[in-house]
Amino acid sequence: MKIGVFICHCGSNIAGTVDVAKVAEMAKSLPEVAFASDTMYACSEPGQEGIINAIKEKGLDGAVVASCTPRMHGPTFMRTVARAGLNPYMFEMANIREHVSWIGKDKEANTAKALDLVRMAVAKLARNKPLFAKSFAINKRVLVLGGGVAGIQAALDCADGGLEVVLVEKTTTIGGKMAKLDKTFPTVDCSCCILGPKMVDVAQHPNITLYASAEVDEINGYVGNFQVKVRKKPTYVDWKLCTGCGACLEKCPSKKSPDLFNEFVGTTTAINIPFPQAIPKKASIDAGSCIKFKTGKCGVCAKVCPVKAINYEMEPEIVTEEVGAVIAATGYDLMDWTVYEQYGGGRYKDVITSLQYERLLSASGPTGGHIKRPSDGKEPKTVVFIQCVGSRDKSVGRPYCSGFCCMYTAKQAILTKDHIPDSESYVFYMDIRAPGKMYDEFTRRAMEEYGAKYVRGRVSMVYPSGGRYVVRGVDTLAGTQVEVEADLVVLAVGAEGAAGAAHLAEKLRISYDSYGFYMESHPKLKPVETNTAGVYVAGCVQGPKDIPTSVAQGSAAAAKVLALFSKDQLQSDPQVSSVDLKRCVGCMKCAMTCPFGAIKEQEVRGEIKAQVIETMCQGCGLCTATCPQGAIQLQHFTDNQILAEINTLLESELEETQG
Amino acid sequence: MSKELRIIGFLCNWCSYGGADTAGVGRFTQPTDLRIVRLPCSGRIDPLFVLKTLTGGADGVLVSGCHPRDCHYSEGNFYARRRLEMVKRFLPVIGIDPGRFEYTWVSASEGQRWQTVVRGFTEQVHALGPIQRFGKDAAAMAAQLAASHA
Amino acid sequence: MPILDELKAAIAKRLPELDVVIGWGKGFDALHHTPVFITSEADLDKLVLGPLSVQNLATYLTRYPKTKKIGVVVKGCDSRSVVQLLQEKLINRENVVVFGFPCEGVVDLEKVKRAFEDQGMEAARVSEASFQGDRCTLTSGGKAGSLPMADLWADKCNRCQYHDAVISDEFVGQRLERKAEDAYADVAAFEAKPLAERQAFWQEQMSRCIRCYACRNACPLCVCRDQCIAQTREPNWVSQRTGVEEKFMFQMIHASHLAGRCTECGECERACPVGIPILLLKRKNNKEILELFDYRAGIDPEAKPPLLAFKVEEEKINERGW
Repeated sequence: MKIGVFICHCGSNIAGTVDVAKVAEMAKSLPEVAFASDTMYACSEPGQEGIINAIKEKGLDGAVVASCTPRMHGPTFMRTVARAGLNPYMFEMANIREHVSWIGKDKEANTAKALDLVRMAVAKLARNKPLFAKSFAINKRVLVLGGGVAGIQAALDCADGGLEVVLVEKTTTIGGKMAKLDKTFPTVDCSCCILGPKMVDVAQHPNITLYASAEVDEINGYVGNFQVKVRKKPTYVDWKLCTGCGACLEKCPSKKSPDLFNEFVGTTTAINIPFPQAIPKKASIDAGSCIKFKTGKCGVCAKVCPVKAINYEMEPEIVTEEVGAVIAATGYDLMDWTVYEQYGGGRYKDVITSLQYERLLSASGPTGGHIKRPSDGKEPKTVVFIQCVGSRDKSVGRPYCSGFCCMYTAKQAILTKDHIPDSESYVFYMDIRAPGKMYDEFTRRAMEEYGAKYVRGRVSMVYPSGGRYVVRGVDTLAGTQVEVEADLVVLAVGAEGAAGAAHLAEKLRISYDSYGFYMESHPKLKPVETNTAGVYVAGCVQGPKDIPTSVAQGSAAAAKVLALFSKDQLQSDPQVSSVDLKRCVGCMKCAMTCPFGAIKEQEVRGEIKAQVIETMCQGCGLCTATCPQGAIQLQHFTDNQILAEINTLLESELEETQG
Repeated sequence: MSKELRIIGFLCNWCSYGGADTAGVGRFTQPTDLRIVRLPCSGRIDPLFVLKTLTGGADGVLVSGCHPRDCHYSEGNFYARRRLEMVKRFLPVIGIDPGRFEYTWVSASEGQRWQTVVRGFTEQVHALGPIQRFGKDAAAMAAQLAASHA
Repeated sequence: MPILDELKAAIAKRLPELDVVIGWGKGFDALHHTPVFITSEADLDKLVLGPLSVQNLATYLTRYPKTKKIGVVVKGCDSRSVVQLLQEKLINRENVVVFGFPCEGVVDLEKVKRAFEDQGMEAARVSEASFQGDRCTLTSGGKAGSLPMADLWADKCNRCQYHDAVISDEFVGQRLERKAEDAYADVAAFEAKPLAERQAFWQEQMSRCIRCYACRNACPLCVCRDQCIAQTREPNWVSQRTGVEEKFMFQMIHASHLAGRCTECGECERACPVGIPILLLKRKNNKEILELFDYRAGIDPEAKPPLLAFKVEEEKINERGW
């Protein structure tokens, strides 16, 4: 075999701490290496041309590129190799940037390590075989998880693009967090008024099937062919009959139910429609507070319902949907701010979250849009906003910035003044982060036009005093302590992944971080893709975002799905397992462990043998590690290839000890 | 740290290899002893790779995969967990310090954790020193023991 | 009726429906039994049974096509191999008839030879062997010698927990229902030695290995036969290079492939012509399997070998934190 080795400088990224010329020089002496050189940027157009020319001129049968991680440019160089007329799988990469040059400054050690990685790649490539992709049919339906603004946008764009969409929402209505907001920044227009029409579009779109009050139980399959089990949670109201007339709400005697939609500010009825614009506008019963469920007596709603939609016996229902792609848009939740003992830990009634404050501001909220203190219903004259509660705070395990809090706090200060002209607002902040179109201007307006008093510093404690609250903090600009007597304290609580996000990520087989946010494929270049083919993310599920960004991501994820579905068939990854029939003894241990059911029995001349169903095989290689004879081998990661890598390293060790 | 030792890592592509990349992107400095073999899944790791590598003269072997439940292939790391635990427990009977082998879980977002793992494991292997190889080293040791018992 | 006669009767009863019944017969000398393959009633006279019936006849089951109807006589330990083969669907339950009997144990022929050689007898020329009560008497070169059985039982018999077959279609004689303790003391004793000494031990032992693969051929669960990865370059796990690493690699492969499957019949060690105590490696794995998964191979034909299964939450595997 004639192998070409190309060592990338990556500008100074690699060359700064690895002697690339030396690595290239030493690579020339490796067996099967016919050509080696170093190149400034292997991935650049001239870099790729250099590889192509070398392959053609020297008649190479394979190439090793030593540069960045194969997770980044593996596919790039496979295309390069293919353009040079080779099979794209006759290629290996040595990761001498992320795994070498970026993690240490010892040039000598780095150079030795880089050479080792190149030797491993060469040893592996020498055992590569050309592989050829197979085509398989796809199901052009898409599942959108989460009916917040990102999910709504994704669903609408996909549906407008002609795809059938299944939208699954955990709560009884779509709208998500945006539906709870009173106004949006920096335009201060009514949140529900701009979201409402989109929600109606979802309800009316012929291509969208909406499952509200539903969750995903199980997802199986692979890109193009997922099987999804959707669990419809019982609402105890037959939504096919319910007209949303609201008669039941008026008569329900259980008026002390926790009001989820209003963030537990006030209470609601046990049978409920969360808000006037809810989609679907259907009633549902909160079994935890319903008198009928608790005592067996009542049944008022069933009596008053004009269409007899009430069904106390309703059971969960499992629906199986087949889709080809999934968009996760499950959003965020506020972190549990009660860990802040210094702010009362949840014991003070008038220390509330920003989202609760949104409900107090909203005309459809529990106070009809009048700002009233939860404790006594009085109008507050002094409101203190504390920012970064659970953001940028390592002491509570939340080191990151939640991004949108600076902006909504400014908005809330403005709205406070609008609602109560003789009120005063104080904002305790760390830094004002307002990088967006018209954003900084907006925060200036809060200060300059609306007179919000911005105090740069943290609040050390909040304590009640004579019906009011003393907020004690520091003004780091003035270098003094400050105390403000407040009627109401609003906490800008940081965001974390939505409750249950981790569990869902496990079902989707994608990574998530310790805050419950999902991991995108590449932080810059693949922001809505995940490492699982056919699974995309949009909105706050990936990290805190404001509305425009969430909407943009919803559209982006939809575009990705539309692009994926633009072909009728997908190419399967040919890095699948393959059975050596003469070596297989038919013990079928491979099939016992295969997570995808991709191995079946076949009879060959009267003997049982294993057979791989290539489109189902995902290429994990579990079977190869299981087979005692090594008769089933994962292509491109065969035992011999891995052993060659190991032996290469052990031999280099041997030479050292002998030398 | 003393002279570099030979440490071989077997990493799954989706989580731990990505975690090592994330560590690189974050410039989280690590010792240079480790050489990484990229595999699709920790479930791909035949325990024999570990035994082959250690008896073949590597001073340490590190395996890292997706956290349990997070496997890109759903179940690979569950099987790996059992098999790798068995290898770790097997090592003492063949006279290899089980500290020379560790397996752990690092996700693609855990760059910092990867740094901690590599630093910790490299330190652990250095504390054990170069491995006694089967063949020459062990033969010498056998002779020495025979002499001392005689 | 003596157990042997009962056994013959039981086999005679089932023989018409079977292609072959595998039992033990007289070997090349008085100190050895050898497998016999009974296909007719006339063959029944060849059958013997006793402390010299050392071979695990279950090993032969997988050498026949699955469709053949086979009878097999099993000691308690051997019966576990049958269960394991059933569990892995390597044999068909309906095509195997298992003949069990209460096994008092078998001798370790190496112990016998050594003990009698110590008495100045030639163990290679034994003309008569008798086992009466707790004594073994051998005649060699016209000289007779006697030794207590306690010194001669195979190690596995001293710790035996399954004297009576765990699975049988025909069981002859009275069940012994005896159970010795097995706390893997041998493994613990070996692991109490310093690490370097353990490695040196294997270095020394394995240097004698001649790579004959008798250990593998005797193993009832080594079903790969000609496809064993020790003897192929696809994949190339073990090279032809001489050296202790290569020899030892095969033993690690064997132990590894038997983890959670080995029933400790000890055939590998018995078959080893140079006396390498390779069962220790398998017992080590079994000790850990028992601790981790509370599992013994070859007991329940419906169970799944623990390394071909998993639990989402493993009770006894600590997540290794860093």
